[in-house]
Amino acid sequence: MSTIAIVGASLTGSSAAATLREEGFDGRVLLIGSEPQPPYDRPPLSKNYLRGAVPFEKTLLRPPDFYRERSIEMRLGTTVTRVDPDKRALELAGGERLEFDQLLIATGGRNRRFPIPGLDRPGVYDLRTVADADRIREAMGGGGRAVVVGMGFIGAEVAASLRQSGLEVVAVEPFKTPLYRALGEEIGRVVEGLHRDHGVEMILNDAVTAFEGAGRVERVVTRNGRRIECSLAVFGLGIEPATELVAGTAVRVDNGIVVDDQCRTSVPGIFAAGDVANHYHPVCGRQMRVEHWQNGVKQGAAAARSMLGRAQSYDEVHWFWSDQFDANIQYAGFHAAWDSIVVRGSLPERKFLAFYLAGGRVESVVAINQGRDLRRTLPIIKARVAVDPQRLADPAVDLRTLAPAS
Amino acid sequence: MARFVTVTKADSIQPGQMLKVEIDNFPVAVANVGGTFYAFDDTCSHEDCSLAEGDLVKTAVVCPCHFAEFDVRNGAVLAPPATVPIKVYPVRVQGNDLQVEF
Repeated sequence: MSTIAIVGASLTGSSAAATLREEGFDGRVLLIGSEPQPPYDRPPLSKNYLRGAVPFEKTLLRPPDFYRERSIEMRLGTTVTRVDPDKRALELAGGERLEFDQLLIATGGRNRRFPIPGLDRPGVYDLRTVADADRIREAMGGGGRAVVVGMGFIGAEVAASLRQSGLEVVAVEPFKTPLYRALGEEIGRVVEGLHRDHGVEMILNDAVTAFEGAGRVERVVTRNGRRIECSLAVFGLGIEPATELVAGTAVRVDNGIVVDDQCRTSVPGIFAAGDVANHYHPVCGRQMRVEHWQNGVKQGAAAARSMLGRAQSYDEVHWFWSDQFDANIQYAGFHAAWDSIVVRGSLPERKFLAFYLAGGRVESVVAINQGRDLRRTLPIIKARVAVDPQRLADPAVDLRTLAPAS
Repeated sequence: MARFVTVTKADSIQPGQMLKVEIDNFPVAVANVGGTFYAFDDTCSHEDCSLAEGDLVKTAVVCPCHFAEFDVRNGAVLAPPATVPIKVYPVRVQGNDLQVEF
């Protein structure tokens, strides 16, 4: 009987396992995850789960019986230390070996850590797993002031959740605005306003140089000499792809595991998908690695079909959301340098779309509380054709009329 | 006891459009799919978002917040992140009155 092993039992791995069965694969499916919990959804960890508004059970991606009913063998709490591509085997921590015929690597990423003095001090947290979220929740129970280090999407969501939970929040961000690299200054200022209006103190153009305290963190020190007393700190400094299990093998690694548009690595029979996969995107003709929920679901499914010889070129327009306070922020497209931004709606009211254009084409789009129109922009991005900026900006124009008929 | 409640005029919702109404202070969405009306919970089963503010694509309603999709005919989940179906309600047209059984 043929065995497909999936390393990584989160969104991508779970989606792949489910798709294998939906597509009729009747061989052995092994789903191996390092965390003890069955596959769960991570977006709530920085939002309603962190605020205690939903129980863990609500974050499960599929009911507990789902995997057993479909004969998907789960190996949880299990770390794969190495892939042996020649012998078609996985080596587990503890020495056990598992053989496979085909392998999907869906290991995601791990939080980036910088050598900041005191980063390992008790009371300084990062967020990736439900165990991380539980530690932060426990610390939040004491109230007081929290420092959030890094106002990327995770940092911004955590800042919002801490504030909504009644803590004082000070955010320290090295760039000019929150989300600066993703959204630029003009739109970053809107997000800054959102946080300030909800009582987050924002320290921009500054960086944390130390987490100090007698034992537990008591204050954060910044490059510009700020000393911020706090009862806890959370840092969100991005992730790095978890590729070490293929280090030294013929599986090519370059900012993640390099795959083509069918999730195939440089070694036949070995595939990768999700946050770990640096994939070739046929719509924009280049490699890219994204860390989005939608890509986890869809690329996991695409990899499963590819393993069964039913591949289609994976050409999704990448998309994600980030809920912060009363703002539903969504972003879609292919992040690249832009030469102009066209706004449709109102920045001060925080109800708008902002289109990022390069050479007349919409490369990407961000929306606040305009999800319907954002979705209608996806075909425009995919079409890769020049669009009239005045029509983009005009709320009376139905965006569905701007994409060429498919 | 369930009874039919007039929620709006049938000709006020064009094909391909949706409208949010309230019945006993409960938000219900009504959709016109090619001349046939469907009524269902307006609040997405995933998080607190109004489905009527989303998109109607044939018989699928797409939540504007996180793009979960449901079949307006039976409430079934068509796309995540939702995992729980939404409730649907019988609809009838009496004259030009659009009525939902609630």
